[in-house]
Parts: sequence; C-alpha cells; structure tokens
Amino acid sequence: MAQGATVVTTPGLTSFLKSLKTTPADPSVDYLIALLKRRQIRSSRPCAIATTALLLRVVGEFKGRDAAKLVQRIRDVGRLLVAAQPREVVVGNIVRRVLGLVREVVDENMDSDTNVTNETEAGSQPEASSPRRPVLSSSISTFSPLHYAVAEPMHSSFQSEATFDSADLSRRPPLTASHTTSLGHSLFGLFSHPETPSASNTPTGQQSPTGKGLTTLNLERLADFNKSNVNVDLKAEVQDGIKELQDELEQSDELIAANALEHIHANEIILTHTASTSVQKFLLAAARKRKFTVVHAETHPLDHTATYGMALTGKKREHTPSDEEETWKPLIAAGIEVYVIPDSHVFAIMSRVNKVILATHTVLANGGLVAASGAAMIAKAAKEHQTPVVVVSGVYKLSPVYPFDIADLIEYGDAGSVVPYDDGDFVDKVDVEAPLFDYVPADLVDLYITNLGGHAPSFLYRIVADHYRTEDITL
Amino acid sequence: MSDAQSAGAVQSPAAATAPVAEAPAQPSGESENVTPAAADSGPKKMSAAELKKQKQAEKQARRAQTKAAVPAQSQQNGPKSQPKDNIPRPMPIRTRPSQTNEPMPKEVKREPKKPSPKKTQSLFFGHLINQPRQHSMVGASKDVHPAVLALGLQYSSYTICGSTARMVAMLIAFKAVIESYQTPPGNSLARHLTSHHLSPQIDYLRSCRPLSITMGNAIRWLKDVIIKIDPSTPEADAKRDLVTEIDDFIRDRVTVADKLIAENGFKKIEKGDVVLTYASSSIVEKTLVRAHKEGIPFTVIVVDSKPLFEGKQLARKLSDQGLSVKYLLITSASHAVKQATKVLLGAHAMMSNGRLYSRVGTAIVSMLAHAQTLPVIVLCESVKFTERVALDSIVGNELAPADEILSESERKALLPLKDHLPDSLLRKLGEKEAEGPRKPKTGEVMKWIEGSDNLQMLQILYDVTPAEYINLVITEYGSLPPSSVPVVHRLSTDKW
Repeated sequence: MAQGATVVTTPGLTSFLKSLKTTPADPSVDYLIALLKRRQIRSSRPCAIATTALLLRVVGEFKGRDAAKLVQRIRDVGRLLVAAQPREVVVGNIVRRVLGLVREVVDENMDSDTNVTNETEAGSQPEASSPRRPVLSSSISTFSPLHYAVAEPMHSSFQSEATFDSADLSRRPPLTASHTTSLGHSLFGLFSHPETPSASNTPTGQQSPTGKGLTTLNLERLADFNKSNVNVDLKAEVQDGIKELQDELEQSDELIAANALEHIHANEIILTHTASTSVQKFLLAAARKRKFTVVHAETHPLDHTATYGMALTGKKREHTPSDEEETWKPLIAAGIEVYVIPDSHVFAIMSRVNKVILATHTVLANGGLVAASGAAMIAKAAKEHQTPVVVVSGVYKLSPVYPFDIADLIEYGDAGSVVPYDDGDFVDKVDVEAPLFDYVPADLVDLYITNLGGHAPSFLYRIVADHYRTEDITL
Repeated sequence: MSDAQSAGAVQSPAAATAPVAEAPAQPSGESENVTPAAADSGPKKMSAAELKKQKQAEKQARRAQTKAAVPAQSQQNGPKSQPKDNIPRPMPIRTRPSQTNEPMPKEVKREPKKPSPKKTQSLFFGHLINQPRQHSMVGASKDVHPAVLALGLQYSSYTICGSTARMVAMLIAFKAVIESYQTPPGNSLARHLTSHHLSPQIDYLRSCRPLSITMGNAIRWLKDVIIKIDPSTPEADAKRDLVTEIDDFIRDRVTVADKLIAENGFKKIEKGDVVLTYASSSIVEKTLVRAHKEGIPFTVIVVDSKPLFEGKQLARKLSDQGLSVKYLLITSASHAVKQATKVLLGAHAMMSNGRLYSRVGTAIVSMLAHAQTLPVIVLCESVKFTERVALDSIVGNELAPADEILSESERKALLPLKDHLPDSLLRKLGEKEAEGPRKPKTGEVMKWIEGSDNLQMLQILYDVTPAEYINLVITEYGSLPPSSVPVVHRLSTDKW
C-alpha cells in the first residue's frame, strides 16, 4: 500500500515506514513531523498510513498500564503532528480514532466490571439502557452534532469491514453490536434529536470550556479504570485496534468499489477529475460488468501529470515499481472510453454528463468537502445542470472538524506551476496564485460513498459521531 | 438611458470620421503587428507571381463561365438567389418580420474529408469532426491571393486570434484582393467578384480555421455591398469605392465602436473594485486601461486556461500599464470569483437568444459569479451579434486539434510514464524490440495517447453562457440586457 515516494532515496512514506521498524518512537515522531512539514508525505492516504504506523509504534513503546497516561501520550504526539501540517486533516482524524480506541477499551472493561454480561456484548448493551445517558449529554449540551457520541456511545467500527458483505454496507455496523441493536440505537437517537439544536446548522465553538471540563472528567474515568482493572492488557488491545484501523485503510478502496454497480448504469457518461485511486478503483469495478464513458478533467496545473498517468497506465506517476504488488489496469484497458478534457470544458460538457464522481481530500462533518482545486466549479456546474454529484471517500477522510473558516483549510501551492518562474518579467509584476484545494459546500453534493456504503451529506454528522469521541474533538 | 446612449453611438462615428484613417490601429493585441504586414507584403512582394496567378485565374474563370453558362445565368436572375458557396446572407429586402429570424443553415464543408485514420468517435462531438484544420498552404486553390494565404496560416496557428482581430485582418486582406482584382471581359464586377474571386479566398480561410461569427457577418455585408454596385460604374471606381467601404466598416463597427464601449464600460468600474475577466479580450483590455487612465483605483484578476493562455498576454499588458493584476487558472476560478466584485467578459458572439458564445470557460466564470450575485458585464461590438441561437455548447462549436492540449513541458513531465505503459501499446508502436537505454522524446507522448485504444483528448474552443448569468451587455449602441440582443441585431443589420 506504500505510495508517495518516487525513489527509495528520497524521504517519503516508504522511507518513513522502513525507518519506523528500527527507530524508536520519539525520533520517529520528529521524522514524521519533518516529512509533513516538508510536504514529503502529502495527500490523505499516505498521511493516514504514516500516522497509524507511528501511533502503533508509540503505543507499543508505551510503558505502564495507566490509560490516562496513554491517552495523554497519544494526544501529545497527535498535537505535534497536527501542528506540523494542520491542513492534512486526516492526521488528526487518525489520532482521534486511536484515542477513541483507548477509551473504548476502557469503557468495555469498566462495563464488564459492573455488568455480568459476557464481554462481547458488554460494549453496547449496558449503554443502550438509559441510566447513564442523560447525565452525560447534559454535560456537553453546547456542542450539538457530536454529543451523540456521548448520548449514545456507540463504538467505532474499527474492525475489519471485510467481514461484512456488501448488503450490510449500507448500514454502519458498530463494533460488536448486533445489527438490530444498532438500528435501535439510531432510532433512539432520532427521537432524542428534537431536544437539541439541529446538528447541521449549529457549528458552535468546539473549544468551549465544556469540552475541556469533559476532558478532565473523562481522564478521571480513565484513572478509575486504572485502579479497577488489573487484568486487562490495555496496550495489546489498543494495538489490535490500530491494526484493524490499518486494515480499514487498506481495504477502504475495495469496499467503496463494491458499491460501484449500484451507481453506474450502462452507457453512462461520467465526469471525474484529478487522479484518485479510490475513483479509479470504483470505476474499474463497474467496468467489469458495464460499458460506460468517462470524461476526465485533467486538473491543470497541479494534477494533470498524474491524471494523464492514471489514464494511460492506471497509476499515478509517483508509483515506484516496488509498489506493484497490487497492479491494476487503466480504465482504457478495461474497454472504457476515456476522454481527457481541459478543465475549462466542464460547463460545456456538463449538459451531457449523467453523473459526476469526485475524489476528495477531506470530508467535513457538515457534509462539505475539501478536494483538489477545480472540484468546486465542477460541483457547481453539475448543480446548475441537475447532474448528480457523487463523492467517493474512505471513512478515514471524514473529519469531525467544522469549516468555521474555509480559507483555513485551503493550502496554496507552487505558483511556478501556473506561470514558470523563468518568465521573470511576468512573475515580478503579476500576482500568481495556485490554490491546491477547493471547498465544496454540502448542498452541491448529492451522495457520499464511503467504505460503509452510501450516505446523504446531511447524514455525515452521524457517521462522525460513530467514529469519534466528543472528548477527542479538541486534541 | 439606453436611448440616449445609442443616439450618441450613432452620431459619434460621423464625428470621429476624420482621425480614423487606416483601419483600426489595434484591432486586437495579437494582430496589430501582423495584419498590416500580411496585407502589405502580399501585393508588393509577390506581385509577379501574383499577376501570373491572376491571369491563370481569369483564364480558368472564363473557361468555367463558358462551361457553366446556364447555371451561372440562372444564379444571377434575382437578388434573392444565394450564391453557390452556401454562405447565407441577410435577406436584402425585409419581407416579414418572422422571416428575418429564420435560423441560418449551418455552414457545411463541401468536400467530405476522409475520416481521419485515427479514432473517429469523439464523444458527442462527432458532428464537428469534419471541420478541417489546415496548417499549410499545400493544396490551396491557385486563385487564393497571397495575402489571404498568409492570413490563413496565421489563423490556424492562432497568431491572429480573437473574433474581432480575425475579422479585421480578413477585411484588410480582402482589400488587397479587391485592389488586385480585374473583372474578366464580359462580366460585371458586381456579379463576378463575389462568386468567382472572393469565394475561393473564403473557402481557403475556412479550411484553415472555421469562420468566426464576425467574419461571417462581415462577409455577408461585403457581398451585399458588392452586389449593390451599379454595373455601370467603371471598374476602378467600383474598386475604390469598395476599399473605402471596407475602411468605413472597420472604422464604424470596430474602431469607433470599441472606443464607445470602452467609454461606457469604464464608468461601470468604481473605486476599489476588483474586476475579474476571463482569457483575453481586446475590448476588455481597452476598457480596463481606460479606467486606469481615468485614475480609478481598482485591481484586476485575470482567470486563464489551457491551452492558449490568452489571459497571460492580457495580464502582461495590463501590468505593463501599471495596473495591479492577479493571475489564476480556471481550476481556481471559485477562489478568484470570491475575491472579485465585478466580472467583465469579452465575447466571440452574442446569440439571438441572449446567450454568450465565447472562449470555453467563460460559462464557468459567469456561473460562479452569478452564484455570488456579482454583476456580469459583457463588452461586445454589435458586429458580433448573430441571428443564430444556441442552447448548449455542443451543437455548434469549434473542435480544435487535441494535441494542442499538451504543451511541450507537460509532455516532458509525462515521459517517466514510459516504464509503466502496457506492453501491448509499446508493441503496437513498434518500440518493444528497439528497446534500449535511449532517452524517450517528448513527441512520443502524443503517440502513446493516440496509440492507446479508448483514450482520447478533446478540445473545443467555445462555450455558451446562459443568458441568466449575464446582467448587462455593453455595445456601441448602449447598455442592454441580453434579451435585447436580437433587437439591436435587427437594428444594426438594417442599417447596412
């Protein structure tokens, strides 16, 4: 699954993963920070892989059984990583999910202490019963969309999704809970919904004091866990969880692609942009059964080389021959007609396009997304033509962050790719800009397809609630 | 207000007659140093060859005439009968209002080009694939005037680009054509010039690049002028009249019109405005420079796109004038529009249903601006108005060669892909055997893409912007909503 490094000698994901095997945690943290800062690891998937690998190492080297200290340690590492490259939101996502893992292990064991039910059900059953719930939800009433995480503490689905068949994918299977209970959960959540401000339009400040208060409250709980549980191997369980997370990263593309046939019909004309492995695999999965046409906007100037690489060979250019364990054909080899168009043609072509499939960099909790620049105009043009916009994204890209300030999320790239610096006269006088990302508001998106299935943008907050603990929203 | 302005527009050409001598000083940036050369070099340098050509042409024409005496006769028996070349012209007499609006038949290329050896399917642009694009004068009819030959090459290489510039350059070349024309004995100039001498020139130009709407308008006007020449006028006088008519046309419809539009347009720019424009339009440039000279503090954002990068020229020129300019590509259009307060656009043509036909990408910019309720203002001479209507950008458009999309540097960046290309493709290109450590050349990249089945690149030149995205059209007749375009078009064609 290694990507991102051109040659073995240049620092990148491959070299980082290699060095991680021999280097202890602390220098590795520094190394990853340096790589992130220098943009030698960039884009969501490599960042996610690097972060999970690093956290696995960090947890592995953690001494002692103190859950609170472990949480603190992960949080410290996470803060450093996020500060190094705040726009790679995925890093924060992974850290939060690992923190959630620790808390989950704690919760499970606390519950198994108090309840006599068997261990696998312990996670969900007692919490479904109400006694504890009102207390918790009242303690964080301000941060509405995510308080469900506490109001109804469902466990993150860290387990390998491979165990679910595609029929189950439309639901979000919570860990260890049976599907019926999960349904019960969400219905219960629905009923309790009106009590609180609407989830999608109340992005209140997440740095509120209540959040902090909660954190301390939770740390106390973790401390309690310390005293009461002697026989639980916290470290091993968390490590298992992280490994499951790694599996999820690895399999998310395949799981997304499993939905392809439900969304692409014969002889469709599909417009996509930039070079995305997820989209490519999604289309390939459909190409096995159906004939359709792909119109590919090249995303000049930042991604067009990769786009052409994708169209010609099925791989982005950066892929090294060593990555070739999983080779896949380009779409054209699967008998799909691919038309590469300059980005300016999007509006002209849109009236004949049946579906727009977008790749994404990050999905935000309000249903909006940050994607390669050009995505906003494509989505808008699609909206004007009433063409459905489908966003393909792994759950790991789904972030609990709200876009309070959109400009914060946009990174600006090398202006030399727009106008080469040898045109010194021009560059001197004219202000050249090259934003890397676009923010696409939720109302321009019709459907999200994740490794858990298809969701409406308005539903994403719920998946956020399933995957992240409120306590961890603020790292 | 629009009345007053249009009145001014009608008067001022007369007032400005004196200073405008030689056509437009700058019909557009690109053409300014090219067109005079094209027009001059033709008759002067190649006059010997040209004379020979002329004679041959005449001989041929005479032969053709005797052979086809009957059809030629029948062709001339009424002002309504169309010349053979299938170029529609406005009805000389406006019979009923409903008739004048009838859509022009699409200009069809006569000789069917043999299907390109490459892949023939081209998404839903198959109907445009027969549009020829000639890059050399090989095979040009020998009747074609040298000035026109040169012009055609400048068209096909985008040296002269932009609908106004192309039209002006064509008219200037036609002046040379007319000056060197001699009516064969037994023919009148009014009958012979258009069909036998001008048509080959137009056909050649069309084979270099499909005619622009303005060129079509100008040709129609010119034919109309020619046909109205009194047969009793001596040839020299008629030719002189025609040349002055052409000069007047360029002056009235372009030079003075541009001045008026810039005059009206710059008033829309207010202090502190951030004016966004897409690609390059000579009239937008003039307006912005005018506003800058007027001392209005404002900044400009130029949004541009592959492959022509016309906006780069505009940004360069504007910054040379001392304007503060920001330059972004179309992928960042949503960022650019966020910073802007006003959008000024040039046009290739205004359709009779109020839609704007312009450089591909214009629709995206106006859509984004409209979504943010920014005013979208189109600056457009009335010569760009057409009675044609369009709903989408697909039925009527211009297909450009796809290999223009990839620039040399981009091809270079793609070279490392070679190791990853499927074997079947390399074998097809006959490279598998000759494999060696040799360095791949940039030219190969196009071969890979052409060689790969199912993979194609597509490039069109224009798109159609819906009328609802456009707030204002500024013409030399004044400022109007897009819905008034057909009215003004009617007015302006009646005047011809």
